[in-house]
Amino acid sequence: MDITAPTIMLTLIWGLAIGCIYILLATGLNIIFGVMKLVNFAHGQLLMISAYLSWTISVSAGLNAYAAILVSMVIVAFIGILVERLTFRRVLGTDKLNEIFVSLGLIYIFENIAMLIWGTNSLQIPSPLSGLNLYFSGVSITYDRVVAVFVVIAALIAFGLLIKKTKIGLAMRATSQIKNTAMLMGINVEKIYMITFALGAALAAVAGGLYGIIFSFNYQVGAMPTIIAFAIIILGGLGSIKGAIVGGLLYGITEQLATLFINGTWGSAVAFALLIVVLIIRPHGIFGEKGE
Amino acid sequence: MEYLERKVNDMEIKQKLTSLLHSRIFQIIIFGLAILVILPVIITDNFFLYVLTLICIFSIYAASWNFLANSGQGSLGHAAFLGLGGFSSALIGTSISNGINGLLGTVIMPIGALSVTIQILVLIVGGLISAGIGFLIGLACVRLKAWYLAMVTFGFSVIASTLSSQFDAITNGINGFAPTTLVPRGFPFYILVLSFTVTSIAVMYLIMKSRTGLAFRAIHGNEEEAKMIGINTAKYKLIAFVISTFFAGIAGGLNVYFLRFVDNSIFAPANSFLPLIMSVIGGLGTVIGPIIGSVFWVSIQQILALPSVADYLHSSLGGFFPGLSNVGPPISLIAIGIIIVVIVIFEPKGLVALLQKVYNYIMLKTKSKAEIKPK
Repeated sequence: MDITAPTIMLTLIWGLAIGCIYILLATGLNIIFGVMKLVNFAHGQLLMISAYLSWTISVSAGLNAYAAILVSMVIVAFIGILVERLTFRRVLGTDKLNEIFVSLGLIYIFENIAMLIWGTNSLQIPSPLSGLNLYFSGVSITYDRVVAVFVVIAALIAFGLLIKKTKIGLAMRATSQIKNTAMLMGINVEKIYMITFALGAALAAVAGGLYGIIFSFNYQVGAMPTIIAFAIIILGGLGSIKGAIVGGLLYGITEQLATLFINGTWGSAVAFALLIVVLIIRPHGIFGEKGE
Repeated sequence: MEYLERKVNDMEIKQKLTSLLHSRIFQIIIFGLAILVILPVIITDNFFLYVLTLICIFSIYAASWNFLANSGQGSLGHAAFLGLGGFSSALIGTSISNGINGLLGTVIMPIGALSVTIQILVLIVGGLISAGIGFLIGLACVRLKAWYLAMVTFGFSVIASTLSSQFDAITNGINGFAPTTLVPRGFPFYILVLSFTVTSIAVMYLIMKSRTGLAFRAIHGNEEEAKMIGINTAKYKLIAFVISTFFAGIAGGLNVYFLRFVDNSIFAPANSFLPLIMSVIGGLGTVIGPIIGSVFWVSIQQILALPSVADYLHSSLGGFFPGLSNVGPPISLIAIGIIIVVIVIFEPKGLVALLQKVYNYIMLKTKSKAEIKPK
């Protein structure tokens, strides 16, 4: 591919769309970490499950793909609640390694259940906007990617309002600051944990639906986005939502630019090299505080 | 005076040795080893030998991960060192045997004491290279904790995979290659693997029992407190990292020479998760845990892969899942996932603790019966 102004433009827009999906995933991970001090490595598997659920709903029930995302959001939020109550709640506050172990077990469970139900073939959600392109200044981009960007912006605004303006959001912020004090103030911390996890799962579900519309997916698709989302929030600093947004955009665009200028296979290696360098210099991320 | 002290020391060591020789555990270990050597002679079944060899190799790998976890560092990228050891020992071994073949003018490597020695040396060199890289990576990792460390080690395995495919001219990472055979497959190779397994696990056990091991456990318990009582935590964490990566590299070399093939899929995340899963299932922080874990894992995988079992599963469950040709692997992995979660929640010390409880229960029963009977 020749490197010209339009191709760079195209790459940037692609990076933006991909970055938006990572941002949703990273925000979900981040809110769970912020409130519960828990890292769910199986977060990407929720994305994968949601992609499959949206596919099933839109194919078998004939629902519009974007409406199907809303339905799968609710289902995945319930799955999230189930996961939190049955597994993570029991290891919370024990050794940090236990959370990694439980997540690994969940990854095995989710991926293989998906494989049993939906098989090993790659699928893609049929979009009502498929085949439609938006043209400007000589480059074309599918409508789905543009819509994805707006859906992500809408989801993030709704999420921000929930955190900043509602009582539940206030309780979540209080819990994330000092859990015990929040408990003394009459906040039901366990309920807040449940809501937080459901919220994070719902964000992952939106990301999964969009991912399934833009890319084809199979049962193994969850692993890499989790790692990338995690790398993004570590770059931005654990618990910082702003850091996640900036990091997500940077990551998506850098990955696409690296693919354009160097070679597709270098994308993730370069990103991880950057992550390692950042962590060597600042062990708690760029914007991270030296808590914990 | 000095002489006297030395004599007392010698006596202490002698006493320790005799008590070790007479202890129950030591007898059990010797007995178990004898069985492990003799059993393949009696049961001359290739499949049985294959499974035993695989269990031994994975025991080293899982034990190396467990060793690192014992110093409070959980790695998610141990496949990087498995692959480093595997690639470097395979490449070096192949080029050495090619060189010797050139000198001798033969095409086939003479099998004998020479090739066995080369094999052992090459495996150790592979471990040393892995440990050397491990030292450099460890320097970056000693300041990091929990998931930061997990992420960075994972990142290194991704980078290692990319490098092995980018420098394909040297590594043949994309298409893979077969290393020259130095020790014939079957019983001879099994004995080689077994001796490596016993030595590695014994060395790791002895280190864990030494003052160094005590420092590791102190760091695992509470790093700040360990620092406060004067332990150089960074130094000890680095030591643990280097030793662990050394043995992971040896396991990698053995694995490559056993499978007689290596490509960059050895760096896959699944390989990084494997030792972790084995250690957790078997019992974290114990010597026997990783061994039990690898026995458990390899057995489940191999039993479900048996043609008769696979056919049965397919005929009974295949109808429910039309999208799959083989339902065995996903079902076994779901089971393993559930087992991991259940073990972490209910029995964090793993199968070892469970077996111990069962053993205690049986002993209690028999004892109480024996006490009741005379009356």
